[in-house]
Amino acid sequence: MAAVPVTCVRLTTSMHTTQIVGRTSTMKLVPMGRVKSGFPSLRTSRFQISCSAKPETLNKVCEVVKTQLALASDSVVEPDTKFAALGADSLDTVEIVMTLEEEFGISVEEENSQNITTVQEAADLIEKLVEKKNASEPA
Amino acid sequence: MALRFTPTTMQSSEMYRSLALPQTANLRSPKFTMASTLGSSTPKVESTKKPFSPPREVHLQVTHSMPPQKIEIFKSIEGWAEENILVHLKPVEKCWQPQDFLPDPASDGFEEQVRELRARAKEIPDEYFVVLVGDMITEEALPTYQTMLNTLDGVRDETGASPTPWAIWTRAWTAEENRHGDLLHQYLYLSGRVDMRQIQKTIQYLIGSGMDPRTENSPYLGFIYTSFQERATFVSHGNTARHAKEHGDLKLAQICGIIAADEKRHETAYTKIAEKLFEIDPDGTVLAFADMMKKKISMPAHLMYDGKDDNLFDHFSAVAQRLGVYTAKDYADILEFLVGRWKVADLTGLSSEGRKAQDYVCGLPLRIRRLEERAAARAKEGPNIPFSWIFDRQVKL
Repeated sequence: MAAVPVTCVRLTTSMHTTQIVGRTSTMKLVPMGRVKSGFPSLRTSRFQISCSAKPETLNKVCEVVKTQLALASDSVVEPDTKFAALGADSLDTVEIVMTLEEEFGISVEEENSQNITTVQEAADLIEKLVEKKNASEPA
Repeated sequence: MALRFTPTTMQSSEMYRSLALPQTANLRSPKFTMASTLGSSTPKVESTKKPFSPPREVHLQVTHSMPPQKIEIFKSIEGWAEENILVHLKPVEKCWQPQDFLPDPASDGFEEQVRELRARAKEIPDEYFVVLVGDMITEEALPTYQTMLNTLDGVRDETGASPTPWAIWTRAWTAEENRHGDLLHQYLYLSGRVDMRQIQKTIQYLIGSGMDPRTENSPYLGFIYTSFQERATFVSHGNTARHAKEHGDLKLAQICGIIAADEKRHETAYTKIAEKLFEIDPDGTVLAFADMMKKKISMPAHLMYDGKDDNLFDHFSAVAQRLGVYTAKDYADILEFLVGRWKVADLTGLSSEGRKAQDYVCGLPLRIRRLEERAAARAKEGPNIPFSWIFDRQVKL
């Protein structure tokens, strides 16, 4: 491994895992610890796979969802559970997206907000938008 | 339009998701029937399969959710209703008639009056007419609303000429409302500014479509719904009156104003009925209030269709929103008004479900306002859309 550029190794690893991993178990199989956000090239639009979001992002989203829906702080919110199944109505969902916009400093277009129905979907979109935002800001 | 919150936007996404929502059971054991028109999770508008088909209600249609023993309540307050509700009806001899506000065909001055009406109407922009036409079509679908009132358990008109105060109210209310559609229809006909055939087609489609306001045969839900609606129409016609005045048409302003005055009187009656229910059964009524608000107050004409535009209601309400005739802010204001009018915050002796409902309803206006402020701050300019009601001329949404 030492002979191979580090980015290539990570690229292969993440592509591989993303191909075999279904959305339901991304938490367990993706080597999160090794994929750092400091390498935005891994997640540019050239790669059409959806890379899974960082744990911090997922956790933050979970917190927002739990607060919005008044769930106990020790309750477990699975990334793929639908908000609706947790008792959210459409107003809750819009407010969740609004809070996430504030927390992450992003702006979600209406078309995209309709696709946010789970923690995972929210986290994935957030990471995409944060990245776009970082890429367009001067270094 | 990023996060554009309108009662309609919320409503259509709510419809789509309503099948996934958990049921909050409470005291009800409602009967569920699939709406006969359904495929279960299709969106409101049928897109590619059949051209020229009007939109249909997609949610499950729930019936008789009020426990039958509560029907007694409405029997027991018939005396009260006679003394306190029927007084808000106006005797026919004292009522205005559409002819009072239109050129008089029996007079020599008729043609001149019509010319003047048309000259005034020419100064009024298309976008205003789109909203006025939408309102007129809503009024003309009156058969649907009388039907809806007669679906309510305990208060329905059992024979078509029932002598109960409830039935007397419903028939007389219908008779008063009937003048609204007539007046607007004749005004629009004479104005020459709109395509009457397309409008009439829209009316035929709309009456054929009906509506399900999700009142589930419960007069609790029904009277909360009508309270909200009457205030909404009062606000809406009040705004069209103001706009007509700004465009220099004082007669049209009078027309809209006289309709608005009726709606205000009706609002007073319906809110009084709901107030009585809050007094007799605060828990049941606050639960009903929260239930209606969760389901969203759907607009009576939300299934409108003109044979051409699959999103006609959305387009119409976007124009109404932009012109400030009826907006999401109005929705929040009406809700807040009703919360105050019925003193919901002061209710005591509620069950734990009732307290949750109370909190929900009291907190809702602020949530809606925040959403709307956000959406308004980020709203982009709308596209120009043709409306068949004005010969396919375009109006900005």
